[in-house]
Amino acid sequence: MKRAALLALGVVMYAVAAWMVAPGFYDGFGPPQPYNFTCPPPQAGANSKPSSGHLDIKVIGGVSDANSAFTDDGQLVIGFLPGAFVVDGKSTISVDIKPLDTCPSPSGIRFVTNVYQVTAGAPLDPTKPANLTIRYSNLEPDPSIVYQASDPAGPWTALTSQPGQPYTIETRTTTFGYFATGYPSSSPPPGAVTVGGGQVLPIVVAVLIVIVVLAGLPIAVMRRRRR
Amino acid sequence: MIAAVRARPAFRAGLVGCGVLLIEWSRALLAQQPGLTMAALVLGGTALGVMAFGWPPERLGLGTSRFGLRILGGMALGAVLLLPAAVRPGAAPLLPAGLALAAVVVSVGEEVAFRGALYAALEDAGGAPLAIAGSTVLWTLAHALSHPLPFLGAVAAAGLLLAVWRWACKDLVGPIVGHVIADLAL
Repeated sequence: MKRAALLALGVVMYAVAAWMVAPGFYDGFGPPQPYNFTCPPPQAGANSKPSSGHLDIKVIGGVSDANSAFTDDGQLVIGFLPGAFVVDGKSTISVDIKPLDTCPSPSGIRFVTNVYQVTAGAPLDPTKPANLTIRYSNLEPDPSIVYQASDPAGPWTALTSQPGQPYTIETRTTTFGYFATGYPSSSPPPGAVTVGGGQVLPIVVAVLIVIVVLAGLPIAVMRRRRR
Repeated sequence: MIAAVRARPAFRAGLVGCGVLLIEWSRALLAQQPGLTMAALVLGGTALGVMAFGWPPERLGLGTSRFGLRILGGMALGAVLLLPAAVRPGAAPLLPAGLALAAVVVSVGEEVAFRGALYAALEDAGGAPLAIAGSTVLWTLAHALSHPLPFLGAVAAAGLLLAVWRWACKDLVGPIVGHVIADLAL
């Protein structure tokens, strides 16, 4: 009886602790944070607006410092090498990252992230490209390419991209403008197959409960009869 | 050497504890490197499983009596672990299919290491209370590098629940089944 009571207490403590942080039980395989969509897909459920970011980079002795600008939700990070900017006498260089309020869908491309506008107070030195990392959602197919445009209406250029840490994609750029990730819509979405999660999760839990109850009742009855 | 370690339960518990922490932290750091996530998970999970080497299955909670009940208990644990995410409005993470096998290896490895070998070593050294508290603390510390700080409360509570199950039912099959289900579903 004491063991059952302590077990029940453990269940209650877990439920409270897991309720305080979304998604609850999480063992590090998926992204810990839900993606903040400008235009959330239907399966996203509750959604927060994506954040913007700002950075002032110091220029010392005519050379801009190494630094990284990022959105407050960490969905886009852009890193600059020392002397990455053509400073032209400036003492600081401002970098701004803003998520676009709209969701362009250019012909032949399927975007899976928000579109971000990255601007700076000085152009980049073409010999010192900036490293761009974009986080993506697990609710959409994995992107294979980072696209860039000088205008949201296009044309969009595919940048040489590579997978980064889980749920991120990386590229390098020597110019600013609009950035988003996706894949050519003519090809099948890469990495689209997933298990569990999303809207399947309540079904999984419901099935587990049904199995436990349906299988547990006869076992309990049989044990009682044996006594 | 092995006999000398076995003769000192506290020393053995310390060794097992350091071993599982080292494996988990190495796995977390390696998994953050591009392209190495899968390898880190599989190697880490396998290494954790090796921690059970030398322990009789019964001491790990891996007996076969009432096996159906143990499996059923594991399903109940899985439902409890997933319930907060299932009833919460909003998106739940999806596990990429490519990581499913790795998730199973890690789940089994973690249970065998934490609620199996570490629990048994701590129980020998200081009884069930030390085994429950110690395995929960080390389980939480082991996830410090792979989880953001706000998640560690839920991680600790899950570790405590699984350890209490291990003590109350003298069973590791249930925690293994529950952990695997939860990792595959989320």
